[in-house]
Amino acid sequence: MEFTSKAYFDFIGEGKIMGTRCKACGDASLPPRPVCKECGSVELDWEEFAGRGEVRAFSVINVPLSRMEGRCPYAVGVVRLDEGPSVSGLILDVKDGGELSVGSRVEAEYVKEGEKTALCFRLVR
Amino acid sequence: MRLSRDIALIGAGMTRFHHRIHEDKTGRELFVEAALEAKGSVDDGIDFDDVEALYLGNFSSDAFERQAHTAALSADWLGITPIPATRVEDACASSGVAINIGAMAIASGAYDVVMVGGVEKMRGLSTGGVTDTLAMAADAVYEVGAGFTFPGLYAAIATAHFAELGSSWEQLAAITVKNHKNGALNPKAHFQSEIMETAKRLGERKNMTFDDELDFLRSSLNPVVAHPLRLFDCCPISDGSAVIILAAGDVAKKYTDTPVYLRGIGQASDAMALHDREDITTLRATKLAASQAYKGARVGPGDIDVADVHDCFTIAELLATEDLGFFPKGKGGEAAAEGRTALDGDVAINPDGGLKAKGHPVGATGVAMAYEMFKQLRGEAGGHQVSDVRYGLVHNVGASGATVAVQVYGR
Repeated sequence: MEFTSKAYFDFIGEGKIMGTRCKACGDASLPPRPVCKECGSVELDWEEFAGRGEVRAFSVINVPLSRMEGRCPYAVGVVRLDEGPSVSGLILDVKDGGELSVGSRVEAEYVKEGEKTALCFRLVR
Repeated sequence: MRLSRDIALIGAGMTRFHHRIHEDKTGRELFVEAALEAKGSVDDGIDFDDVEALYLGNFSSDAFERQAHTAALSADWLGITPIPATRVEDACASSGVAINIGAMAIASGAYDVVMVGGVEKMRGLSTGGVTDTLAMAADAVYEVGAGFTFPGLYAAIATAHFAELGSSWEQLAAITVKNHKNGALNPKAHFQSEIMETAKRLGERKNMTFDDELDFLRSSLNPVVAHPLRLFDCCPISDGSAVIILAAGDVAKKYTDTPVYLRGIGQASDAMALHDREDITTLRATKLAASQAYKGARVGPGDIDVADVHDCFTIAELLATEDLGFFPKGKGGEAAAEGRTALDGDVAINPDGGLKAKGHPVGATGVAMAYEMFKQLRGEAGGHQVSDVRYGLVHNVGASGATVAVQVYGR
């Protein structure tokens, strides 16, 4: 299977976080990339990530994209997974910046939105 | 980067940046207004026939005005066809990059005189439409698709900077206050009132009074856009255009005895998505572009007297003052709060009000910064003139830092 966004989101739909690992240098990448960003190799394998990690940066959005209208305030963050790579996603049920910190532990949750499934996160209390 | 020919800035013009006064104008008309002012600013005059090429920075007239192909259209409306006219799109750094391309075109020997412009007509869309359009400058699939807005990305950078380096929202508020103070002295600025004046005006409508700037900036009249950034941490949505004329050093004297010289240029790219960057609190592309520009100009950050840095959000100015080397990492906020970036500070940052108060018609911003350096280095900046300017720096960022262009100007 090619390392495309389509494949990535198909996996998310199955509840799996799949990225790439470079066979040459071992660098892990999430989402998957066709070329290793560290060494340029195109010899890559699929790699599954467990979906646990911590918040590196975040915001609580009050002025939304039009497709998110009516859902504000909502939190979105950059999450570093325990395996190394980071990914962006909604942090569910957070309505106020005070509820979250850089370093907060989160785990993946898969949210169906119509045809699509989004990789989101939830605070580990 | 050192250029193989001297490059001189011989003229500069810009429209006022504003949300209302340009309501009835299209982007091409704004460009013509700025270009005619640039022509008029050339001391000994210039005929448009001398201009051999146009490079035009423009982010998204496609979405804002349903108009693509804006470089040829602008050349047409200014009456300078059939010269080559090229549009440059690198998000908010579009026209900063266009300056570098124009300079390299002259340095290559292809041309002696080029026009570089920037234009954006944003107010045709609602705030929601503008939010969607600006978000196109980030990773549409993996960042915006995940729920980030453009202010949200800078807000996230702020949370990381606060947590890792101990800076604070109060320090960002000092940047807001300073930039509005400078904007009040700039007749081209979108906002020309100091924060307390604004607080008084907005407060009167709601029967509210405020003790000081922070009291206002913490109030409900300054709502959170994307935590921790509030409305007055964000630049406004403005329409406008700016144009400069560049000439080879050996022909510049034909047009003016007091050109401003482009001494060094730099440009770099970085991972588009914040989540792909090892360090979220530094724009690596700023560091790389600045180091090229400093090297070309044979100066360092300590030699810069005045700088226009890309403060689309207050946190972006804080980062810029660190990444450009003006202050150590983690000390940018403190420096702003201590007034070291004021008009009379160690290095005057955004004397024209910055994107925050001057406005940010996205594609026009890089050239509008060059316009400011043209004025500052010739001592023509009026009320916001910085004293004894020898070197000026321009720092233009695309989106959250995937593109950065830097120029160093001198006399």
